Amino acid sequence: MIKMINITKVFPNGVMALKDVSIRIRKGEFVFIVGPSGAGKSTIIKLISREILPTKGYLIVGGKDINLLKRKEIPYYRRKIGVVFQDFRLLPNKTVYENVSFAMEVVGASSKQINKQVPEVLDMVGLRHKAASVPSELSGGEQQRVSLARAIVNNPEMVIADEPTGNLDPETSMDIFSLLNEINRRGTTIIVVTHADSIVNQMKKRVISLDKGRVVGDQEKGVYNL
Amino acid sequence: MIFRNMRYFIREALNSMGRNRWMSIASIGAVTAALIILGVFLIVNLNFNFIAEDVETQVEITAYLDDNLNGEDISKIGRELIQLHGVKEVVFVSRGQALKEFREQLGDRGDLLDALEKDNPLPNSYRIKAHDPHMVGEIADSVALLKGVDEVRYGKEIVEKLFKITEIIRIIGLVVMVVFSLISVFIISNTVKLTVYARRKEIQIMQQIGATDWFIRWPFLIEGIILGFLGSLISIVLLNIGYYYIYNSVLLNIPIIKLLPREMFLYDISLWFIGIGTCIGAIGSSVSMRRFLRV
Repeated sequence: MIKMINITKVFPNGVMALKDVSIRIRKGEFVFIVGPSGAGKSTIIKLISREILPTKGYLIVGGKDINLLKRKEIPYYRRKIGVVFQDFRLLPNKTVYENVSFAMEVVGASSKQINKQVPEVLDMVGLRHKAASVPSELSGGEQQRVSLARAIVNNPEMVIADEPTGNLDPETSMDIFSLLNEINRRGTTIIVVTHADSIVNQMKKRVISLDKGRVVGDQEKGVYNL
Repeated sequence: MIFRNMRYFIREALNSMGRNRWMSIASIGAVTAALIILGVFLIVNLNFNFIAEDVETQVEITAYLDDNLNGEDISKIGRELIQLHGVKEVVFVSRGQALKEFREQLGDRGDLLDALEKDNPLPNSYRIKAHDPHMVGEIADSVALLKGVDEVRYGKEIVEKLFKITEIIRIIGLVVMVVFSLISVFIISNTVKLTVYARRKEIQIMQQIGATDWFIRWPFLIEGIILGFLGSLISIVLLNIGYYYIYNSVLLNIPIIKLLPREMFLYDISLWFIGIGTCIGAIGSSVSMRRFLRV
């Protein structure tokens, strides 16, 4: 699914975020990316979502070199990826339902598809009863579940999450991770950047460890050991 | 895809106009002002052309005679005139007759001239018609040389003056219009920029979800177009009302001047204005979006 080949990323301010990183992620995998701040974790997420380009190296996603994507092709590429952020990034003036249906309107879904799909994903994240609430009326965990619903409503091939539980307490975090696990069980590739060491240890998934822009560990059923 | 989402686009555009109410009103006002100024110049210009054409059809030379001539002198001038090359017809108009004609021209307001009855300021004159309107200039020059002729006037003079004035008005009008259009584009682009800025988070999220540039652009474009359209509509209404009053008041107070009837041009101008206003709006919002959409 994803092949990062000898990727180096140097930001315009001279900071070298990734040094010669090669990672291969198969379709349907659940991968944690861990490491101290400044290790280059978020840079990987931004590369995959095509917000930034690598300085050197290749990034192949679904058989395509995404460095070569034309500007016009980027939106269509992004539709294959659901993104979840630490700060949820919900639209404050829209209801829970609208925040999710919005993602379908953006990709040009018909209202028939929207009316069918949105209640389904809201069911899945357990927020159907809060469909008419606005984000400010929800707890952090609930907001993150809305953002998860939005990320998966278009049936993406993969979900990437950047510190999805960074603002949540451990118990709520566990809910989010079991949801991600559930989504993964349906065949969606999941990549999670996180600091939540105890949960990483508990879930026994593949763990890629980064430090100072290099891969320092990559183990199946790994643990957070930095 | 575009038509399926049109309702969404329009709803978004109207929402943001509601949020930035005052900037929206300012934008509409700017377009209205620009188009009214353009309209005033256009209307003045069209009227000058109309009057000039009207005058041109009556190319006739009037030779005003010196006041101190006797009957003999006057008829001598008449004989000389008819012998000039190219002259078709010569008619003598006495001062009394001239006053009577003037009174008739004024119609209902002829009573204005009552005071002049005793001390008529109008001179005796000859009206000369040429065989060929192109010879009018030449004949007028010869007439001016005759002894006893005080002044020569012919329509062409006025026509040329009018055309010169219309030319100047047209240039001034064009410059003013360009300047005001640029100002309107600037104000609309600022209004839309505010909207874009207020919604930058939303735009960022849309881009991450995979919205195409055009999907993001449409609501802003529609917002600009609506602002420009409303501005042009208001300007059309105001120009129509304004011209209606001016036309009627000129008809009542200065009956000699015949203005262009409203229905002869305001329909065309309205269509043009809607087009121009809409374009100003579209350009304004495009200008402001270019920078913001680069992520």
